[in-house]
Amino acid sequence: MFEVIGMVPPGGISPLDEAREELLRDASLSAEASAREKVQEEDGPTRSLLVFSLGAEGFAVDLVHVCRVLRPARIARVSGAAPEVLGLMNCQGEVLCVLDLRRILGTGTEKVSTAEMEGKFIVVIQHGGKEAGFQVDAVRDVVDLPASSVHPVLDSVDPSRARLFEGTVTCGGQFVGLLSPSACLNP
Amino acid sequence: MTTGSVDLLLVDDGTALRGYDCRDVLRVEEVPGRAGSPGGYLVRLGRVGPPREVACREILGSVSLSAREIRLVPEVLKERVTGEMPWGVGITEQRICLLY
Repeated sequence: MFEVIGMVPPGGISPLDEAREELLRDASLSAEASAREKVQEEDGPTRSLLVFSLGAEGFAVDLVHVCRVLRPARIARVSGAAPEVLGLMNCQGEVLCVLDLRRILGTGTEKVSTAEMEGKFIVVIQHGGKEAGFQVDAVRDVVDLPASSVHPVLDSVDPSRARLFEGTVTCGGQFVGLLSPSACLNP
Repeated sequence: MTTGSVDLLLVDDGTALRGYDCRDVLRVEEVPGRAGSPGGYLVRLGRVGPPREVACREILGSVSLSAREIRLVPEVLKERVTGEMPWGVGITEQRICLLY
């Protein structure tokens, strides 16, 4: 359908220019949408992961389950608690149970002292109505990866430990275990 | 005890701080130290609740906590505690103690 283009008002934008601009805007929006669809078709939905390290190993957790990342404050020990319980922390007036991820993963058995917690981070994870803080050595990055790039847990991982992982991803040339929040929160 | 608060006997068991309802305390006995083991205290409870004894390293005194300073025990902790289960967590700016 054609529009009848009027005269150019002196010093103004002609109706022809306006029509062209509108066409270009529509074309640009349509191109963006088509590019997005193409990416989705090729890679599928993406997942945002928080990547952190524990010793030399890298781990990740889906950002959907991460509530916050904190610096450790004073942690009150709990008598009679399982070895992976580091204690309770006052997190903005709420009680946060802090767990030792190293112990959960079976990569360390020594009790962490308060001094050793300095400079580390606590990643607060929520899943299925449960919440806990997990002590990690360093937070590396947040990465967006296609969901299809999450591979099964490596065969080399001990079967008793494998249940703690959703899969494996590659970040910065390193295999990173993608933690299952449910398995880490439930004993 | 006043409405919306609880008076607690605060003790240090050597690992953590524990709070016991003052109304439940029968008496506190000093336990002398022996060679290789430090002395402490034995808190006898059972005035209003079931009789029990708690050994502790130190008696820190009594403290009053208002309802606003008491929280539920986190589910994740409940699943990982063996033995006596705390009924709540006392939280103030200075400290966190488990309530038994």
